[in-house]
Amino acid sequence: MDTQATQLRPSRPNVLGPVSTFSATLPFLALLLVGISLPLFGGGYWGVIATRACVYWVLVSGLNLVVGFGGQIAIGWVALLTLGAYTTSVLVAGNVTPALPPYLALAIAAVVGGIFGLIIGLPALRLRTFYFAITTLGFATIVTQVALAWQSVTGGGVGVAGPIFPEPFASQWGFYYFCFGLAAICTWMTANIAASRFGRALTAIRDAEVAAEACGISKSALLGTVFVFSGAVAAVAGGLFAALQSYITPDAFTLDLSILFFIAILIGGRGSILGPLLGTILLTVLPEFAAPLVAWSTFLYAVLLLVIVLAIPGGIAEILDFKNRRPLERDRAIIPRPELLGPLLGAPPDAGALTLDEVTLSFGGVRAIGGLDLEIRPGQVHGLIGPNGSGKTTTLNVISGYYAPQLGAVRLNGAALAVLALHRRAHMRIARTFQTPRIVGSASVLQNVMIGGTIDGEGTFVESLLSLPRHRRDEATLRNTAMLALAAVGLERLAAVRADRLQHSELRFTEIARALMMRPAYLLLDEPAAGLSAEEIERLGALILAIGRAGTGVLVVEHHPDLIFDICHHVTVLNLGKILAAGTPTEIRAHREVVNAYLGA
Amino acid sequence: MVESIVSTGLAIGSIYALIAITYNVMFSASRVFSFTAGTLGMLGGVLGSLFIARMGMPVAVGFVLALAGGAVLGIVTEIVAVRPVLKSLDQHLYVLSTLALALMIQQFTAIEWSTDPQPFPRLFDIARGGFDQQFWLPMLACAVVIVGLELLYRYTLIGHAILAIAEDNFAARALGLPERSLRVASFALAGVIGALAGFAGGELLLAFFANAPMLTFYGFVPVALGGMGNNRGAVVAGLLLGLFQQAANFLVGGIFASVAVFAVFIVVLLARPEGLAGAAFQRRV
Amino acid sequence: MHISAPDPLLDVAGLSTGYGKISVLRGVDLNVGAGEVVALLGPNGAGKTTLLRAVSGMLPWSGRVHFGGRDLAGASPRDTVKAGLSHVIEGHRVFTRLSVLDNLLLAVYDLPRRERASRVEEALALFPEIAAKRHERAAALSGGQQQILAVAQGLVRRPRLLMLDEPSAGLSPVLVDRVLVVVQRLREGGTAVLLVEQLIEKALALADRVYALARGSIVLEAETSEVDLPNRLEHAYLAPSSR
Repeated sequence: MDTQATQLRPSRPNVLGPVSTFSATLPFLALLLVGISLPLFGGGYWGVIATRACVYWVLVSGLNLVVGFGGQIAIGWVALLTLGAYTTSVLVAGNVTPALPPYLALAIAAVVGGIFGLIIGLPALRLRTFYFAITTLGFATIVTQVALAWQSVTGGGVGVAGPIFPEPFASQWGFYYFCFGLAAICTWMTANIAASRFGRALTAIRDAEVAAEACGISKSALLGTVFVFSGAVAAVAGGLFAALQSYITPDAFTLDLSILFFIAILIGGRGSILGPLLGTILLTVLPEFAAPLVAWSTFLYAVLLLVIVLAIPGGIAEILDFKNRRPLERDRAIIPRPELLGPLLGAPPDAGALTLDEVTLSFGGVRAIGGLDLEIRPGQVHGLIGPNGSGKTTTLNVISGYYAPQLGAVRLNGAALAVLALHRRAHMRIARTFQTPRIVGSASVLQNVMIGGTIDGEGTFVESLLSLPRHRRDEATLRNTAMLALAAVGLERLAAVRADRLQHSELRFTEIARALMMRPAYLLLDEPAAGLSAEEIERLGALILAIGRAGTGVLVVEHHPDLIFDICHHVTVLNLGKILAAGTPTEIRAHREVVNAYLGA
Repeated sequence: MVESIVSTGLAIGSIYALIAITYNVMFSASRVFSFTAGTLGMLGGVLGSLFIARMGMPVAVGFVLALAGGAVLGIVTEIVAVRPVLKSLDQHLYVLSTLALALMIQQFTAIEWSTDPQPFPRLFDIARGGFDQQFWLPMLACAVVIVGLELLYRYTLIGHAILAIAEDNFAARALGLPERSLRVASFALAGVIGALAGFAGGELLLAFFANAPMLTFYGFVPVALGGMGNNRGAVVAGLLLGLFQQAANFLVGGIFASVAVFAVFIVVLLARPEGLAGAAFQRRV
Repeated sequence: MHISAPDPLLDVAGLSTGYGKISVLRGVDLNVGAGEVVALLGPNGAGKTTLLRAVSGMLPWSGRVHFGGRDLAGASPRDTVKAGLSHVIEGHRVFTRLSVLDNLLLAVYDLPRRERASRVEEALALFPEIAAKRHERAAALSGGQQQILAVAQGLVRRPRLLMLDEPSAGLSPVLVDRVLVVVQRLREGGTAVLLVEQLIEKALALADRVYALARGSIVLEAETSEVDLPNRLEHAYLAPSSR
């Protein structure tokens, strides 16, 4: 197969991020060209429509990160459009403060928007999907009503004049180019985020929250950041909207508008930049093609949404995803290359043992595990077996931090680990896989594996936003490391493939590759052999042994006694939440009680 | 003045409570919240006005037809927006599909019926004033529904079957219960309850398409505060909400009353996301 | 191989199924004759519960399943129950908000009212400990009593084949024996039983035949009268998978 035994860098298929390759950039360039040259072939009427589309896109691009990438159902985002519009207009008009120049007013509106974006978004961290959706609707209504009531500032029902930007942006086409420029910048910025660890982390929170936390991703920090960004950008869109309308009243900010923004993202497809961009253009332009359509526009948007949800959940992005329509190789084999683990994992960790010290945990009166003592040493493979309901997975969940023990403690080098600080475990280089693979189905295998390296990135959100050098360095390093991890587990040929096209066994190895990205001192594997063929189990065993030899301490929770007895240095048997026996595989195999427990005598 | 606050508050509160029950009945049958609950309330009023005031049918006939319309919309919700989504892996899709359906109906009503509120007919030929029918009709409707549901769940086999499906869907299926028909029946029942809310509250709310988003929100607040699936909690919360809203209206004026309601709602939810009476949400790993 | 003169009541051939992308059962062959008690044994994760769920229609499957001569392809749990196949799922899952009586009535939901009442009385007669509590909510019963109620739910329909998924789980030895006595009586009355059990000795004492399921397929089939069975089972479970 691979004739160059010394080649450590495997060949890389074309797996670069969404805007980096020419074919991916082409649609954006095309739109850029059309946009710039619009005055040449469109009349004044189309100029207004195009300006409106640009303004809407400025808002939607930010909301896309929240809804499309983060998966939060924020239906009431028109509240921020309203806030931005009124803030800008009032500051420029000078009713309340001395009149400010429009650019400054817009900047202040952005700050206000950022703050309120965070306020409106925060409930998402505590509430379930439907509840959060309803609260955003409530916010939208409240903001409009406040605009109506606060007559001294907003002019109440009478409204207030929108800002006028100075030359060269005062004329119709001048203003168009201003909005177009901002729209282009927003496209560029959000595309940068999409191709950064933040964008990938957002999709992880959306589709595999539990796995995201295990990779060290902090849901509150990340969502908080995008809510601020999205709010700021929406407020800027508000200022532009006010200028476009020239005069704003509360009833310009209808719920219909909010729905339009939201549906544009869903029609476009989640996790995409191009999709929602096309969706926004489509929804803005569509009603213009026939007069009766204007009245029915929201009805049509709703029909489109229903069709998309039921038939093509991936939206326009899925339709345009030609790359993933190509058939995959039929008889694919997963052939790990353990020799790559050395370069991947680096030097053996300088860590002591990970121990469980008299750990006890009950769920509502039923004891799941009691008085458990366990030790995982770096460089060793430790097996944890037992019948269903014996507490194996609970033990794993306690070690990885999902459950706090009621008695006893989990210790690293003797020091007790802080309880329930889930995403901190990754920083301690404790990695894990799950019983059912938790991956982002719509992302590529490579992107999924890169999620494992999120906490290694040094660049900040702003640096990613502006594609500054440190962000680009992070991305390059991350990509190389991820390809190495994929090669180590034997999946590098599938790097560019959408993860949900993979077979179950391939997903299991993908999870392992993702866990290896954290260069773990301790790796916890939850029933990794389930659903694998005999050959694959053998290869898995060899891989786990190699990971152990590279210095990682591995805990394998399993049913399959074969795998455990073959590869483990040490085996602990659980039954009914307590340790039944512990020792070497030979000892355990001969242990009468263990055999009985398995056979249930 | 106090009388007015109390009677209006309890009446509106009863309407909110009924919409909350609509949400709950749908939720119990499918573990899903549907955006169409508020739309059902709106339709109850619109259909009532359409059949009785515009088409001149007798009150009883119009009443039955309006409720039938609600049942139909309930069933459509199940078939179009809930059933296809339950099968898929991404459970959150139900938020979008029910939202889309609710919007379609709201927009259709706005265009075909009217964008302005239309009058709702007087149901009983009694003079206005005092403790007027526009107040006690919603309260009566709420009481009837509560009692009716209690009787249904406690004394009928189909009511028991619905409770079984709500408690343990898997075990109910294994037992051979007709899970799908029971779910459809629950949604039809929810539709009737929602339409009843709008019909009984027609004089107060008028036949107005914009009642839909209003009821969607205010009808959900009692669900959130009373605990998901908990009808008794929903009724208490609904009535309190109605009273609070009217009192706030009187004291600080309409706009700030909305802000007050919303603020209380958010604060309570953030403090206790499972509602004041609901059980905590255990996360599965 | 056991040869019964008439066709078996339950005939499963080449059954394969799983959950999503994970395949659990790979070509399972199994049959149960009328009036037989068959035990299905195997280590955890082997797929015993999955097998029962497939047969009763709770899961989609491929292969062939015939019951009483009828092809069960595409049958829902409702269809299989009506055909005379009752499945008592694992975990004593009864409806805690309803009374014992109502729990049993639901099991015969589609029968006419008078029949419902008489069938329920029949089932309660078999289990005096829950008959005494017939009007109490199931939540008030102990775990063991709830399991008995679940078994009673399976029996109310007078099934031709009753499938029991680990009825002894969580029960005290006394109650385990109670349930198994009922199984014995069922066999005498002509009802076939397919019993998934963890307690090997008890299962072998009761059953006519036994199958062992490991790693998704049948690894052993024998009459319980055969010698050296426990040893052979142990080997079948812990044997290395074919390479």
